[in-house]
Amino acid sequence: MRASPDRSALWPSVAGFMMSLLLALVLYTAPSSVAGLPDLTPSLPLIALYIWAVRRPWFVSPPVILLAGLLQDLISGGVMGVWAVAYLAAFAIARPRSDEGVADVLPLTVRFIVLALLAFGAAWAVGSAAIGAPAGVWPLITEALMTILLFPVLGWLFARRKERAAMFNSGRGG
Amino acid sequence: MLAQRWTGRRQNDDGVRFAPALTIACIVIALVLTFLDRPDARIAPLASLRAGFNDLSAPVLALAARPFRGLANTGPWWRNQLALAEENRQLRLQISELRAWRDVALAVQERNARYREALNLQGLETGERITAWTVADRSNAFVRSRLVGAGAEAGVRAGFPAVNVYGLVGRIVDVGQSSSRILLLTDLNSRVAVMADRSNARALLLGDNTGQPRLEYLSREPDLVDGDRIVTSGDDNILPRGLPVGQAFRDGQGRWRVALYSDAAPLDLVWIWPFETVEFPGDEPEPDEPAGLTGDMAGAPPAISAEPGLVEGDG
Repeated sequence: MRASPDRSALWPSVAGFMMSLLLALVLYTAPSSVAGLPDLTPSLPLIALYIWAVRRPWFVSPPVILLAGLLQDLISGGVMGVWAVAYLAAFAIARPRSDEGVADVLPLTVRFIVLALLAFGAAWAVGSAAIGAPAGVWPLITEALMTILLFPVLGWLFARRKERAAMFNSGRGG
Repeated sequence: MLAQRWTGRRQNDDGVRFAPALTIACIVIALVLTFLDRPDARIAPLASLRAGFNDLSAPVLALAARPFRGLANTGPWWRNQLALAEENRQLRLQISELRAWRDVALAVQERNARYREALNLQGLETGERITAWTVADRSNAFVRSRLVGAGAEAGVRAGFPAVNVYGLVGRIVDVGQSSSRILLLTDLNSRVAVMADRSNARALLLGDNTGQPRLEYLSREPDLVDGDRIVTSGDDNILPRGLPVGQAFRDGQGRWRVALYSDAAPLDLVWIWPFETVEFPGDEPEPDEPAGLTGDMAGAPPAISAEPGLVEGDG
């Protein structure tokens, strides 16, 4: 029994989604900080989740966001649930649009900035409650800033890829 | 439609919307986990889950960490290039001075061993250091920790101190079979008993998730000066006495803080130091049953008389 074309195209995307999320988590925790300098690692899992939420909205469901947040907490040694709550709240409020017809980086980036600010704000509130004291804001601000600065580069690559795929499909259709 | 039912999403004109019930359920689950996993009240199953997860992820993270190990040395290398000639000159001077100090140290070590023998002084038992690579170092506003690729199989146990070339880094908190997590001195939950090397002034080193932990519980007029060398005091019976920690200084608000020695080098390679703490005395052992006593009197301590020097029952 042959799989339908839609379903056969789905599994590579699912595999790509899982691999990119895991890669983002691994790179996020890699010991890349330089002695004597502040840690400048951006939140790669948030970027990965957002790009996939735009590209394939049905992949990034609440249980998947929960799992991604829990993995981030576990892998970084933080209190479990902090980033999970932050991501769930941010995605529920910001509601990323799927990219039907959107290949422009600017609106993509603006929506991501809103989402990132919501996520980091929620993480600060939940994290502070979990550790029983107000968490330092500067590490979070630095991480948020680096995430926001990195996003346009990845967003541009994503938009270019989408544009090329659309051109390829229209050429094949014509 | 199938995908939308599967994930609980709805596509609207103004964006993708989650099914509220599913979203709320996920948030509640995450909040419950957060409550149960608080650092000061972590439940045992979650601690085991963490240790198991660390064991699973450590090999992958170790592989991913390899390309970054060179990058971690960039900071000191970059800084040193600016003053390399001067540093080289100073190092040559230090080497010539240290040669003389080495002879003194060997003589003192030999004399110290004789005194210990004469006094029958029991030293602290320490095993061989365990070398471990850092495989994950994600520190953020909520936690300052490192995951290292050595666990119970290598002899690591919870509470062991971790040091790098320059000084104390932290202590082991979670131990898996092949991985363990170091709670850094800068973490909010880190508490270490320390003292000033010069004056023996005692204090508690409290992490507050900033780069330089605070010195608290000092005496009213502490005998501390800027630049005092801070070492572990061993008073907490958690860490051994004398491990170098850092230099004391006052911050902008006049509070005493410590600039950590361990910051001078990347924490990619650490040594875990097996350290056996002093056991607390247990309950007093039951006295041997004296001959001729039976029943309720057996094993009961003799009653003390009101008159000094007399013990009832002695006649």
